[in-house]
Amino acid sequence: MSTTTEPAPAKAAGAPASLAASATFRTFALVFALATPVIYVICEMRNWPLFTYHPGTNRVDLGWAAAVRDEGPAMYWYGWTASTLVGSAILGAFATMLPESVIRRIPLSLVWILPLAAIPVLVYALRFFWRW
Amino acid sequence: MGLVPEFVLDYISVNTYWTILFTIHALLAVALLGALTHQAAAVLMPVRQAAGGIDFVGRFRAVHGPAYATAVCVLWLATFVFGAWIYTKYRMYVRIPIEQEGFWKTQGFFEMKEHLATIGMGLLPFYWLVWKNARDPEYAGVRKGLTVTLAGFCWFIFLVGHVVNNVRGFGS
Repeated sequence: MSTTTEPAPAKAAGAPASLAASATFRTFALVFALATPVIYVICEMRNWPLFTYHPGTNRVDLGWAAAVRDEGPAMYWYGWTASTLVGSAILGAFATMLPESVIRRIPLSLVWILPLAAIPVLVYALRFFWRW
Repeated sequence: MGLVPEFVLDYISVNTYWTILFTIHALLAVALLGALTHQAAAVLMPVRQAAGGIDFVGRFRAVHGPAYATAVCVLWLATFVFGAWIYTKYRMYVRIPIEQEGFWKTQGFFEMKEHLATIGMGLLPFYWLVWKNARDPEYAGVRKGLTVTLAGFCWFIFLVGHVVNNVRGFGS
């Protein structure tokens, strides 16, 4: 029995970690990133929160709920965020079942183009606030 | 009154509680802004090996981008969580006076800030992946576009938060 310790194989500089090298994770992350701005814009414009939070009373309602008189405002952003993350995660998970050849056809540049394209749409959705 | 655990109020006042949370949120945002700005500078203007010394700007953009990727993801998430936490206080005690004063554009920019924070969060898994595969030429273009987009989002979010705090933040 040798008493010397075998040196661990040195990790090649710049070699990706196992998760980063996974094709499944790549597909999930790509579709998640593409779906997020699209679903978020839809949720914001159609007002589809997964839940509504009432900060005055700390109450949470499932889905959209109106503010209750004398109980302060209702907050929908948490619900829009939750809707977006859940929806994007579901789409990302479904995408991992698609053939690799289909996923490889998606242009990677859409990952940053779609968020930028969402900006003018969101600015328009906020037109109520652009008053002079 | 927003999300305040009751037991905390045995030790500190409500104002101190929100001040601590806001300060942590701001400090995390500063760290995130610095990291993303370094990374964006590195992908936009990579430093070539020069014969002479490197000046301040050269050092600023000479960072090793992949080393920032995980930190940026963690910082974005942490800043997001603290921002979401203090948002309950904002909605009750900041937004209502802002609307009463008629600062509609300020509120509109804040709404945009929250939108971009959520959208940016959705980009993080792929951002992390492309930086962890920094030597893969397939990701060179998307790495640049995504990093610059996130850095732009971060600057916007940071500056709007700063302005809103000036409108009605500490001491108001």
